[in-house]
Amino acid sequence: MKVRSLTRMEKYLLAIIAVYSVVVTIANPAFLTFETLLDMVRAASGTLILASGVLVVLISGGIDVSFTAIAIIGGYVSVRLMLSTGINSLLFASAISCLIGLACGLINALIIHCFHLPTLIATLGTSSVFYGVMTTFMGTKGVNASQMPSSMVDFGGCQLFVIPAKSGTTYGLTVFIIPVVIILIVTWFILYRTMLGRGIFALGNSEEAANRAGFNLLNIRLFIYSFMGVVAGIMGIVYVSEVRWVNPIALVGTELSIIASVVIGGAKLSGGEGTIFGTILGVLIIKLLNSTLVFLGLSSSWNDFFIGIILIASVAVTSYQARLKNRRDLIFTE
Amino acid sequence: MKVILKLFGKDSDLSVLSVITVCTFVVLILILGDKFFSLNNLQSLAYQIPEFGFLALAMMLAMLTGGIDLSIVTNACLSGIIGAYFLTGAVFPLNSPAATSAAIVIAVITILAISIICGTLNGILIAKFSVPPILATLGTMILFSGIGMAITSGKGVVGFPEAFMKFGSGSVLNIPYIFILFVLAVIVMSILLSRTRFGKKIYLFGENFTALRFTGVNTERLIIAVYTIAGFLAGFAGIIIISRVNSARVGYGDTYLLQAILVAVLGGVDPYGGRGRIAGVMLGMCILQILQSAFTLFSFTPYTKRLVWGFILLLVMIINFIIEKRRTSAPKAAIKA
Amino acid sequence: MVMYSYLGQEAVTRLNQQACKSARDFLREVPRVEIFIEVHSVSGKYLQIPEGRLSILMDRTIVSANNITKSFVSVRALDNVSVSINRGEIRCLAGENGSGKSTFVKVVAGVLAPDSGEIVVNNNSYPKLTPIGAINEGIQVIYQDLSLFPHMTVAENIAMNKMVAVHKRLVNWDEVYRVAEEQLELIGHLLDLKAQVGTLSVGNRQIVAICRALSLNAKVLFMDEPTTALTQKEIDRLLSIVMDLKAKGLSIIFISHKLNEIFEVADYITIFRDGKKVGDFENKALDKKSLTYHMTGREVEYPRYRRVSNDDLPLLEVRNLTRNGNYKNISFKLQKGDILGITGIRGSGRSELALSLFGLNPPNSGEILVKGRPFNIKIPDDAVNQGIVLMPEDRQTEGLFLKKSLKENISSTILDRIKTKAGFIDRKKQEEIAAGSVKKLKIRTQSVDTLVRNLSGGNQQKTVLAKWVATGPELFILDSPTVGVDIGSKAEIYELIHRFASEGMGIILISDELEEILANCNKVLVMYAGEILEILTEKDLDKPDVGEHILAVMSRSRIVDSAEKFKNGEAIPR
Repeated sequence: MKVRSLTRMEKYLLAIIAVYSVVVTIANPAFLTFETLLDMVRAASGTLILASGVLVVLISGGIDVSFTAIAIIGGYVSVRLMLSTGINSLLFASAISCLIGLACGLINALIIHCFHLPTLIATLGTSSVFYGVMTTFMGTKGVNASQMPSSMVDFGGCQLFVIPAKSGTTYGLTVFIIPVVIILIVTWFILYRTMLGRGIFALGNSEEAANRAGFNLLNIRLFIYSFMGVVAGIMGIVYVSEVRWVNPIALVGTELSIIASVVIGGAKLSGGEGTIFGTILGVLIIKLLNSTLVFLGLSSSWNDFFIGIILIASVAVTSYQARLKNRRDLIFTE
Repeated sequence: MKVILKLFGKDSDLSVLSVITVCTFVVLILILGDKFFSLNNLQSLAYQIPEFGFLALAMMLAMLTGGIDLSIVTNACLSGIIGAYFLTGAVFPLNSPAATSAAIVIAVITILAISIICGTLNGILIAKFSVPPILATLGTMILFSGIGMAITSGKGVVGFPEAFMKFGSGSVLNIPYIFILFVLAVIVMSILLSRTRFGKKIYLFGENFTALRFTGVNTERLIIAVYTIAGFLAGFAGIIIISRVNSARVGYGDTYLLQAILVAVLGGVDPYGGRGRIAGVMLGMCILQILQSAFTLFSFTPYTKRLVWGFILLLVMIINFIIEKRRTSAPKAAIKA
Repeated sequence: MVMYSYLGQEAVTRLNQQACKSARDFLREVPRVEIFIEVHSVSGKYLQIPEGRLSILMDRTIVSANNITKSFVSVRALDNVSVSINRGEIRCLAGENGSGKSTFVKVVAGVLAPDSGEIVVNNNSYPKLTPIGAINEGIQVIYQDLSLFPHMTVAENIAMNKMVAVHKRLVNWDEVYRVAEEQLELIGHLLDLKAQVGTLSVGNRQIVAICRALSLNAKVLFMDEPTTALTQKEIDRLLSIVMDLKAKGLSIIFISHKLNEIFEVADYITIFRDGKKVGDFENKALDKKSLTYHMTGREVEYPRYRRVSNDDLPLLEVRNLTRNGNYKNISFKLQKGDILGITGIRGSGRSELALSLFGLNPPNSGEILVKGRPFNIKIPDDAVNQGIVLMPEDRQTEGLFLKKSLKENISSTILDRIKTKAGFIDRKKQEEIAAGSVKKLKIRTQSVDTLVRNLSGGNQQKTVLAKWVATGPELFILDSPTVGVDIGSKAEIYELIHRFASEGMGIILISDELEEILANCNKVLVMYAGEILEILTEKDLDKPDVGEHILAVMSRSRIVDSAEKFKNGEAIPR
């Protein structure tokens, strides 16, 4: 595997992360510890999993806002099923969740492809429908910690290695890192090593040209949205294991921020561009801000403020640069 | 009669929509009868509509230019929060009726001013920096929410004077004040869009902004104006929201965003810009509100409501697609190769 | 065949090419040639070829479309058209807009299915083709928009179609680069394989598109208006590539309306008119006049324009205008009633200059004086306020609101003038002005409410004219006003231009069609690489060989001789 050079966006992001880390460490040396790093990994796992799916959708030129709904539906339904059938197996839960994700994704793809609907609005609609179907048939009763199936609780608490902390407790690298890494690698492989992946890029570049080149757009779309669905299903399991209780109204509402982090990472909403490393950096920055502002003495109420600033600053800079270039080349259609 | 037919003939979306509205009406009357048309129910409708209605108007404006404004809800909340501080006596004590009136006036002005500033920020990002509207407003949405959170630390701002509350819940001749305000806004916007040059330019921009630029119109100023007005409308929504719930906090109205997009699309606004009429959006809102209150009467959960809305959105878009397809498969004017 | 499967595709291609070379001379005389190849024993680890004879059949005609008829609702786009495409020839399809040439290409490429007729390729007869089917038979089309992927690399774009056609699941990047390099070598032009296609110039993008078409063993290559967006250097390069491909046995068919190029490169010219084929002609059997005659069915003469105005006050004066990278030291004067022609090949700075005068490309230095007073034109608003208006090059994206009506388009420029006392739009006035414009400019339409996208090219262009005429401009800049306009409308537009100028408007006409310049202008600036090479006055334009002279200056070939000869009044050899 050849290592490619970093894109401009990735360089900016690395710089920002570096500067931020330095600033925070100066303010509060407790920041730069292994423990903080491992905590971050745990906090970022779920988002990284979702971001992989979002990246694939964005590269194809679409937007999917239904993934959080799919994720929580997958998590909730599998837990409820586990409770009602008595099967206490992580594998069972994952299978149910992924199946649900797959089904939802296929529905998304079919609606978008067959009726030529704009993806944002279509997934807005399907998001409500999926969610509504679940709540109507399964109700909205939460499942609290004591009722959670043990396999999931164990999964949530499982750690790859454990290090004793000064305070007497232990901290460690969460086992969630395994699905995260696997999904990231699989996404990378699909995007850069398979014709399917090239087709996704092609579709994002120009639907017309991709069609003329002979790509089967229906298949590509079916894949993209089912991939997003399955990935969301996996995240759902990770999520409920992590928080150890299930409230069906959680997660939904965060989709725009997750899309924002992938965009910060360099993916363009217009499609055709985006990198895995950039996505990781984008998610990292958001999570960094979310979890570590406390080290600067700022309460968590300041999180969104900084995220908003960063997002606006990064898109303003990249858009302005593109604008200058277009003006210079006398392109007026952008 | 002829005028009405002409109105509908021009815009097939409008006619489809009106048919749906009429059908829904009829079905509901049959099922619910008196309960629906009771003064109580109609009045509660009239109280609920304006809050969301202003947001829908704002969203429609942005979408007419081919863009979108994701920040309208957090704009309304933020403006409401800042204005609320004046109302609670946090800025200066409300120890006399004069001070209270002054506070209310200052609060209203502040809310509108903040919302205008927020809208202008959007406009500048989109017009001067060429940031795609969805990204710009996504960023400002998070920023506004962030500012609000930072100021309030998540707590609500409570304790408004009586006089202010009366605005939100008062009525004249059984018609709520806020409803009258909303109707006025609808009339003004309608005239603005259909009869003024400014409105014309908005539609032309949505249709082809490059051509508009070549026509000598200052498109940057136009976009800044559009998003400023959208912000302004969101400000009104903010005033209404805090006067109805007697508190101002971050996160209120999260669901309104998606609903606003829904209503606009339902109402015939083309997401790519250049098409859409106030009448259509109003019809869309009516359908939604009618369904909304019908659901309450049926005791639907909020989730089932969302289910129906999502379903209707998809249905309308699919129907539009089928109609469009049928229209273009039998071309009347042959396009020579 | 046993031999083929062992040798592999490349060897077969090379064999075909060599066979072509030997067969070509024969094919001129006879329609079919059979080539015999004697194979002596060849041995190798994986190669096992039986001894004996191998024969390859070569037909002169590769693709033959016979009796093609195609109708759309009420219009017959193609009427019993038969065209044969022979091996190793360059053919041009010429014809006005709507003559059927584009439809014909689409039928042969499998994008459209004909109502009747057949397409014969490789001795297979098809009643209709599919895009994939046509590609498999070696028929490739390069559309005007090139259909490339701007954010993907050169290598990917070139190899993409082949990769898809081979149905592999995984990407073999080495293979991708190899295929791309191979094609580029065949063409003889090297590009950075890892560069993003979106960053390339139009000419280089075209090369990528050609390579992609060739990677699938194209036998026939259709090119739709290939030189429209190219600079002169790129045009030369393209033409040399085309010649090279012809030598390798490919047939190239291009659609073009640029008469000079047609004559320079084509072996045969097939002329379409009103859906019928007028005939196939050899290049040397036609000249411009006869070509135009066949294309339009009538003799068309454009009357020259002569300035009649007495008012010599300069409407516009430009002094040493410079815009870095676009043009340098431009100076000229324009008076009332002048039609100033600015000509030059693409990239010479002429369109950039026009945009500067309209406020869309502010100059770095120099002065613009309107009626004697200097002005800074920074945005289009400034220009329009001074009475300077522009008809842009690309009417569909820059000049018109396609989904809006004629009426709305015409009034888009005068929104500020059609208001009632209350400040609203005066609907009646809007209607009046639109109806007046339709009459004055003879726009053919059923009503002012017709959507502009349903109008023909000529009428669309007239709408853009009407839009600006409604503002009562002082100076009208027209950039390539008759591209894609049928000859009838062309003549009418010229008439209108003459009329406006006679009524006192100053007009700047930018065009690279010589005939257009000569017919309409009383003063001409010839630009090259951002500078004005020559200014021709009305007297100069009266001289007999002025056309050739301008062409020579434009392409900067033999510029020294021709300038001297011209001044001496001598004839200039072609």
